[in-house]
Amino acid sequence: MNRLLITLGIIAVVFVVAPLVIVVPMSFSNARSLQFPPPGYWFGYYHAYFTDMRWLRPTWNSIIIAAGTTVLTMILVVPATFALVRHRFAGKSFADVMLLMPLAVPHIVMAVGYYSYLGMFGLVQTHLGVILAHTCLSVPIAFLVLSANLKGFDRTLERAAQSLGASPVRTFIHVTLPILKPGLIISALFAFIQSFDETVVAIFISGRNAETLPRKMFDSIRQEADPVIAVVSTLLFALVLAGIVLPPLLKSLRSRVTPAPAAQALSTAENQS
Amino acid sequence: MTSYLRLTDVSKIYGTVTALSKIDLTAEKGEFVTFLGPSGSGKTTTLMIVAGFEKATTGDVMIDGRSISAMAPHERNIGIVFQNYGLFPHKTARENVYFPLQMRGQAKAQGLRKAAEMLDLVGLKDLGDRYPKEMSGGQQQRVALARALVFEPSLLLLDEPLGALDKNLREQMQIEIKRIQRALGVTTVFVTHDQSEAMSMSDRIVVFDKGRIEQAATPLDIYHRPQTKFVAGFVGESNLVEATVTDAAAGKADAAELGQCDYKPDAALKNGQAVTLLIRPEHIKLSRQPLEGRKNVRIKVDTIVNYGDNALLMGHTEKRTLRCRVLGADIVIIKEGDECHLSWLPDAVVPIAG
Repeated sequence: MNRLLITLGIIAVVFVVAPLVIVVPMSFSNARSLQFPPPGYWFGYYHAYFTDMRWLRPTWNSIIIAAGTTVLTMILVVPATFALVRHRFAGKSFADVMLLMPLAVPHIVMAVGYYSYLGMFGLVQTHLGVILAHTCLSVPIAFLVLSANLKGFDRTLERAAQSLGASPVRTFIHVTLPILKPGLIISALFAFIQSFDETVVAIFISGRNAETLPRKMFDSIRQEADPVIAVVSTLLFALVLAGIVLPPLLKSLRSRVTPAPAAQALSTAENQS
Repeated sequence: MTSYLRLTDVSKIYGTVTALSKIDLTAEKGEFVTFLGPSGSGKTTTLMIVAGFEKATTGDVMIDGRSISAMAPHERNIGIVFQNYGLFPHKTARENVYFPLQMRGQAKAQGLRKAAEMLDLVGLKDLGDRYPKEMSGGQQQRVALARALVFEPSLLLLDEPLGALDKNLREQMQIEIKRIQRALGVTTVFVTHDQSEAMSMSDRIVVFDKGRIEQAATPLDIYHRPQTKFVAGFVGESNLVEATVTDAAAGKADAAELGQCDYKPDAALKNGQAVTLLIRPEHIKLSRQPLEGRKNVRIKVDTIVNYGDNALLMGHTEKRTLRCRVLGADIVIIKEGDECHLSWLPDAVVPIAG
């Protein structure tokens, strides 16, 4: 029985990990097109990626758009989360549901909406247009992470700070913000990743000027199956891996900083998405 | 003479619910005053109004002759220890204690030194670099106390700070808090629902019930001369007997359940007035035979709860139950189901009007 379970577990892991493992060797392949297993190995396609403007420009676009999305998302989400978690007002539950709507609606539907809406303002095929669209998709994710953190925040701490002579503003700066910092960082990270990762909306509205990396990869695999795709995939994979592995590593080095709210938010967000 | 802390006509009304109704109370400088009452009695609401976290519907709060009602909490210079301590998890013990000094613009080196001195005073000399989660409940409590005192507040408020501690630690902290409070001479308001805590720590106890003050007096007065039935029942163990005064001058009353009872004469009572007679269980004596010069009642013993050094005995007459406290050594000869006598002196019977 135990053996059976372990075998099933291994099968599940292989099933999930296999596509990643296939992509990595293909990135070192010397074949002219995507091919597995590779006939031979070299670093030529890495060189190609880092020198070819057709790849570097979308990479740069993706970084700018993800950064812009993150900033805009946090500007919108932080006050909204405080309002929705801490205050009661007419229409609060409606606002709660509306804020999470982009999670439930298929991206393709959202994409069509943005396409026509942004078209009215001439923002299709611009960086700003993609940032606006991606922000709509990032807001609910960032909100979920941050509200989980804020709900767990002990408000006695704010009262304590005030009784000790801190004005509401200084209470926020010295107590609320530092304690919520892990949650803020994680929700910003989720906003960034969601934008960097997003393909459907990008295909609809990014156009040639604001072409993002996922869109470029999609176009490339349809037209030429350039093995550089495998390089990009491998690099993205490495980046995500670093994002997952590094924080716990840093945490164990600085074991004194409270990691609990962050970890909790992470698991909540994972359950939701 | 004006009192140091003065609440005048303070009420708090939530919609249709009156949480506090026309509270008047005072505390002298350096006094340790306890707000005692069941949950929902208004004691915590009163504390929060003094702290500034609740706004009184009517009335005024003054400290040292100045009204603080219009001040924000951070302007009041009042130290508070919260029930769950409210220590900042991202700061060490010393940084927590330094925080109020930091908010007052004190230089860091000097402030941290002062924080360390305060930690020394509360007995945490070597734990300044620990984070709150690395400390025990009792240690966190001491940090919270140090933090609330380091800026020399005009008032110290303690909101059921011992509720989360186990019994031994609680007694230890009671003594510790009293020691520190005396050493610094800070005027202190302590909120609790634990009457033994109130008795052992306070200079004066204010008993709250249903948003009103029932009685404000020294612990011994509260215990021995309660002015209302609620106070008599809430503080300590009690036998309460309804009666009517028959001879006010001699201190005689007639109780339906116990017959004629002599009490300690009280000039405020008149013939024919309805009173409640309080007889504390430890003032009642247990014997096989009636005793001379005392009020004797024959009972049948229902329950004996033995605590070792003393025992609680519950028995009944034909009309009511009575409880008495006896020394552990005296109870050995009595068994449940025995018939015996309870007796007390007239001086042990406290009449309460109404």
